[in-house]
Amino acid sequence: MKPDRLKHSFLDRLRLKESWVIFFILGIIMLDYPFLHIFNKHILIFSFPLLFIYIFGGWSLSILVIYLFTKSIHTGSDIKERNELS
Amino acid sequence: MTSITTLIILIILYVSLHFLIAIYAYKRYKSGRSIVSNSLVYSLSITIYCTSWTYYGSVGRAATNGLDFVTIYLGPSLTAFTWWFILRKIVRISKDNNITSIADFLSSRYSKSQFLGALITLIAVLGIIPYIALQLKAVSTTFGIICNHPSFDIPPALRASFAFKNPGLFFSLFISIFGILFGARTLATQDRHEGLVAAIAFESIVKLLAFMAVGIYVTYFLFDGFQDIFTRMSVEQPALFNQLTTLSENHEPGYASWATNLFLAMGSIMLLPRQFQIMVIENSDEAHIKDAMWRFPAYLFAINIFVLPIAYAGILLSGGNKGADFFVLTIPMNAGHNWLALLAFLGGFSAAAGMVIAESVATSTMILNHLMIPLVLRLKITESFPALLLTLKRMSIFLVVLLGYAYFKIIGDTFMLVNIGLISFSAAAQLAPALLGALYWKRGNVAGAIAGILGGFIVWFYTLLLPSFIKSGWIATDLLDKGLFGLSMLKPTELFGLTGLGMWSNSLFWSMLFNIGGYLLFSILLEHNESGREQSLKFTEAFSNEPRQDLWETKRLSKPVTIIEFVNLMENFIGEKEAHAAISEYLAEHEIDEKGMVSEFELPSLKRFVEKTIAGSVGSAAAKAIIENYLSDVGSQMESFYDAFKSVRSSLEESREALYVRLKSSEIMNRSNDLQLIIKELADLLSAEFRFDLITVRLFEPDGSLTVCYEKSQLPGGVSQPNRIHPEDDFFLHELLLSRRPQFANDTRNLKKQGASAATPLDAFSAFAHIPIVGDEEPLGVLSIYSVSIVGMFTEELLNLLSSLAGQLALAVKLVDEREAREKEKNAKDVALLKNAAVMHEMEIAKQIQMSLLPEAPPVLPGVQIASLSVAADHVGGDYYDFFVTDDRIIDTVIADVSGHNVGAALIMVETRSVLRAQINTSSSPARVLTNLNTLLMSDLSRAELFISMFYVKYDTFTQWLTYSSAGHNNPVLYRISDAECMTLDAEGMILGVKNDVIFEDRSILLDPGDILLLYTDGLTETVNSEEEMFGIERLSTILKELHEEPLQSIIDTVYREVINFAEGRALADDISIVAMRVEHSFFDQED
Repeated sequence: MKPDRLKHSFLDRLRLKESWVIFFILGIIMLDYPFLHIFNKHILIFSFPLLFIYIFGGWSLSILVIYLFTKSIHTGSDIKERNELS
Repeated sequence: MTSITTLIILIILYVSLHFLIAIYAYKRYKSGRSIVSNSLVYSLSITIYCTSWTYYGSVGRAATNGLDFVTIYLGPSLTAFTWWFILRKIVRISKDNNITSIADFLSSRYSKSQFLGALITLIAVLGIIPYIALQLKAVSTTFGIICNHPSFDIPPALRASFAFKNPGLFFSLFISIFGILFGARTLATQDRHEGLVAAIAFESIVKLLAFMAVGIYVTYFLFDGFQDIFTRMSVEQPALFNQLTTLSENHEPGYASWATNLFLAMGSIMLLPRQFQIMVIENSDEAHIKDAMWRFPAYLFAINIFVLPIAYAGILLSGGNKGADFFVLTIPMNAGHNWLALLAFLGGFSAAAGMVIAESVATSTMILNHLMIPLVLRLKITESFPALLLTLKRMSIFLVVLLGYAYFKIIGDTFMLVNIGLISFSAAAQLAPALLGALYWKRGNVAGAIAGILGGFIVWFYTLLLPSFIKSGWIATDLLDKGLFGLSMLKPTELFGLTGLGMWSNSLFWSMLFNIGGYLLFSILLEHNESGREQSLKFTEAFSNEPRQDLWETKRLSKPVTIIEFVNLMENFIGEKEAHAAISEYLAEHEIDEKGMVSEFELPSLKRFVEKTIAGSVGSAAAKAIIENYLSDVGSQMESFYDAFKSVRSSLEESREALYVRLKSSEIMNRSNDLQLIIKELADLLSAEFRFDLITVRLFEPDGSLTVCYEKSQLPGGVSQPNRIHPEDDFFLHELLLSRRPQFANDTRNLKKQGASAATPLDAFSAFAHIPIVGDEEPLGVLSIYSVSIVGMFTEELLNLLSSLAGQLALAVKLVDEREAREKEKNAKDVALLKNAAVMHEMEIAKQIQMSLLPEAPPVLPGVQIASLSVAADHVGGDYYDFFVTDDRIIDTVIADVSGHNVGAALIMVETRSVLRAQINTSSSPARVLTNLNTLLMSDLSRAELFISMFYVKYDTFTQWLTYSSAGHNNPVLYRISDAECMTLDAEGMILGVKNDVIFEDRSILLDPGDILLLYTDGLTETVNSEEEMFGIERLSTILKELHEEPLQSIIDTVYREVINFAEGRALADDISIVAMRVEHSFFDQED
């Protein structure tokens, strides 16, 4: 029960419009000058260029976040339906 | 091996596959079992964003500039975060308003401006032509690359042929035909193009698979994976490697160009015409957006993951980054994998084809709706409109592709692929401020939108498009080097002295500055116009939960248009069947009155519905123009009602004036009972608030006619109206009585004469309203309002207010009537009560008098025993008995009953007693006494109309002779001890007071001791029981017989008790009097 409830409340938080705005702005920030500059170095990690890892790694992470969001939209509408029915 | 024939056949097969898929999908759509309306296809179709620029250009840029190619894909991934809010809102609005393109969206939002629509279309066309050219160039070049490969054996004749040299042309033809077949089938653009979307989704799969195939091959077969490539790269080409894997601040790519590209890509994913078409107009269900939000970025990720390996592999294999644009093709080809190369070619082909098809369809819609239709309308071409429009649309598709081809042929080679794409992105970005404002800033108006977009466009043109012409050698380079008119401030790529940013950032910065600045400035400086405000609310509040509705209609059509006329108009644009279907849907949800007409207040909403329906075919700006043209042709226009309510109000509340009037009218109704006063004050109130020229209140008379109860006129000289009319004398009053609804006309000029109008002089007044004064039942009257000069005064709101006032008036009339009825009833009751009391009082007095007449106790006389009893009933009966003793041996007993029940009767009895007393002293016989009584009382009795019954008995105790006489009285009962039986004593004689000459009979009888004589009044024997049986003489006799031995008083008491029991508890109706006489032993008798 507990992990389910945790997941529920987490997803609930995700549904807030504010969460979305925050992620969006965060994305813009992390893709621009300040952060970019941090990773803009001639370093290889396991032979992968640092910037390459940063960008593609961050990219996949953001896709995951969006995926979770869409899941939460679904639970959101479920909850709404359950509330309406009861 | 592979030959040119194989290639050609493969290409033809592949092209045919497109058509097949499209046809199949279209058939499934038409039969209702769509394969396209699902979220997977939706997500795939959005990837049309990835064109041959993605396919080839990314690798090229990765090999020459470095990592910043990825911004073109990171941008859309970021934007995808917002889709659930922004894209969904756009889709919702577009579906609700039958939007056909992005130009239509913005034009509709901003006052349905035709100019704005045309401007955006122009920008879109100018912006997209280079991009289309890019695709054509990619296909041509890759075709050439493949054909030039040594393993293809191409005969020289073929090589020299026109077709061979111009693959782009054939490609363009294929695209155009496909686009026309599946994108311009009908005029109704709200129909989705499922065949088109299916083909595009298919292409997306092919291009992803092809690219990944090449990527996997290169990474894992030609090399040993990512790490191998990176390591070799860093070893063999360290300088290049470093440059390509980082961003530099000193030269391109820098952080500025990174951010610029990111921003441009973020906007383009939504603003490019093909993107808007696919994401918004082809969307079948808002829920699909949800899945697209992560699927699309995932696709982008997948198609980009191998870009870097392929680019570096190409550099490693070829020693440099020349021709990097086509590494995707050249690497497998050079490695000898021809089939893979063919697959790569088809992948690039798909990427290009999808883009051009979608873009040409989307752009042709805009050209048709925003450039061509306004022209057609202006030229007033109205015949065969639908066919004409369809042809124009198809021509536009050809036109767009052809222009792209022209651009490609003329300019293409001189500019790198990726740069051409960015020009288009920058053009699309000019729409971003207006779009965001359209959704979220209510104040953003058409002036701001036009100013912003125009400003941004001009800057874009100057800073990007112009330099592209210059760099291609079309225009002298002076402009570029020295600036306009030699002013270095106006150097296109370093505008206003802003150096160091690079061409793209420079352009973006300045164009956005002028764009956003102009938008904000003009939106704040200027106000919305009418339709602008309406549209602004519609768009920004598309997601609000309360259904926003105006309480009252604020507009009216100056001349009514019938439903049929509107349907005919619609048929011109959407066809007869669809027009009929649309109007049926509308009428199902709106009411039509008994004549099959739509009410005057419904007309504006019908007009809006027709406009929206037509907009689905031709766009909202054109639809608006069409409707306006039509209305002006029939001489009607939308105008505001004359606003009788002067104060500004929010549309959800009633105006202050209306509330004030209601309040005051309630006070008036409650203040007084005088109906006339109420009507007068109400009419004065209306007259003062609304300045009606004439107010007439008519009430119904009992005979069904209407008389003027009150008239209030503001006209000089007054108005001569007939005082009394019948409802049949006026057509409108007649209608009013039939329908019980207000009859009104906002413009009497529009009315045809329809019979008598005694109460509605149509020539004298411009507008009038008759409001029925009616509560729940029959109408009580009519409230009539007239206006001489003001047309359009009677809004729904005003009529509602007047109706409710008339209702209150009806209530007031009813209340007054009821009050009066109640008063009357109360008075009548009071009068009756008083009368009753008076009567009771009189009867009480009579009773008192009566009781005083009776002797207190019976006389005591030897030889006879006497007892008496008298019980008065509630209503005075008038019994009387008396005893007179003479010479101590004769006792006269009289019993009498008077007919009346009042004081008069009682007084007559007093007189009778006096007369009787006077008579006694002369020893007369009973008959004589009665005769004398009759004579003496005759006049009084007859005057009072009273009668007396009497029985007179004289008993001589010495002789024991009883003499008696009767005046119509009950026969007394005598118990004779000799035969132990009862008998009755009767004597001739009429009741006293009837006539003067009455013969009374004397009778005598000799009594024995023990005989009992019972005298009584009729109250005794006429008492009835519950079966309406009378007590009667028999019962009396029986009791007397039984009790003849008892003491006299107890006999009487028993008789009385029996009578009471007989009556079974009911009250006595008449007095009961009993006198009993028993003969004792004779005086002279001795006890022997």
